[in-house]
Amino acid sequence: MNKREFLEQLQQYLSDLPQQDVEQSLQYYAEMIDDRIEDGMTEYEAVEQIGLPEDAADRIRVELPLPTLMRAKARSARRPKAWEVVLLVLGSPVWLPILLSLVIIILSLYIVVWSLLLSLYVVDFALAASCIAGLGLSVWTIVEHDLMHGLFLLGASLVCGGFAILLFLLSKVLAKAVCRGTVAAVRKCKKRIAGKGNVS
Amino acid sequence: MDIQLKRGLLDVCVLAAIRHEDSYGYQIIKDMKPYVELSESTLYPILRRLESAECLTVYSVEHNGRLRKYYHITESGIHRLEEFRTDWQEIVSIHDFVMKGEGERE
Repeated sequence: MNKREFLEQLQQYLSDLPQQDVEQSLQYYAEMIDDRIEDGMTEYEAVEQIGLPEDAADRIRVELPLPTLMRAKARSARRPKAWEVVLLVLGSPVWLPILLSLVIIILSLYIVVWSLLLSLYVVDFALAASCIAGLGLSVWTIVEHDLMHGLFLLGASLVCGGFAILLFLLSKVLAKAVCRGTVAAVRKCKKRIAGKGNVS
Repeated sequence: MDIQLKRGLLDVCVLAAIRHEDSYGYQIIKDMKPYVELSESTLYPILRRLESAECLTVYSVEHNGRLRKYYHITESGIHRLEEFRTDWQEIVSIHDFVMKGEGERE
């Protein structure tokens, strides 16, 4: 393979990348081949030492940032045929509302989950508040009124406090689980999108 | 060698190759050859990476009727090399630890 063939093949392998990246790569490899020739090699030897254009293209591709790769993939994806576009447009009154409602349902389910968690925290807060208020009230009742009522109040507020602590621990575990679930779901979606074609 | 480790090491090697004098691709490869074998396809992404990390700058010089790209180390490139010196101490002590473990087993 001579220099021109090498560069042409490299350009073909990189054709889906941004123009600037392609040109830079071609310039680099052209310079490398020229420098080797100047060093006393024949053109064929020089190209042979550089290796295969496929490998060179792979190396360039791997190092590109993910957004560039995604754009390259989107560009190289096959163009939809005319009738597919027509169907897509004509069908939009059908699939658009369905898609939209699906998104909204998922979103609202997610909001419901977090609202449930929020309500747990609110109940917890109320229990804690009544515990503190009850403690104050019981001391006041014992001092100012009779012992029996005061003790009853004291016990009741301690029960409230206990429940508050238990509920707090429970809601913390639940919140953590929801967070983990969200992260896992997002990651799965990402993988789905990124993994459809082979990027390497 | 472990790819991540080698990648980091090669970055430093290339910086070292242009530390004292600006150099071009083929010269860098030739300078490194006695120490580490580096192919064009490996060097290219390293140069791009170092350039976008602003460890080096690129300029073109006309040579025999064509353009040749020269690479010039920047302040942060020199800083990176100096960091490597301290990092290396850590690597040496890890190496010592690994070797010590091996000696005891035998």
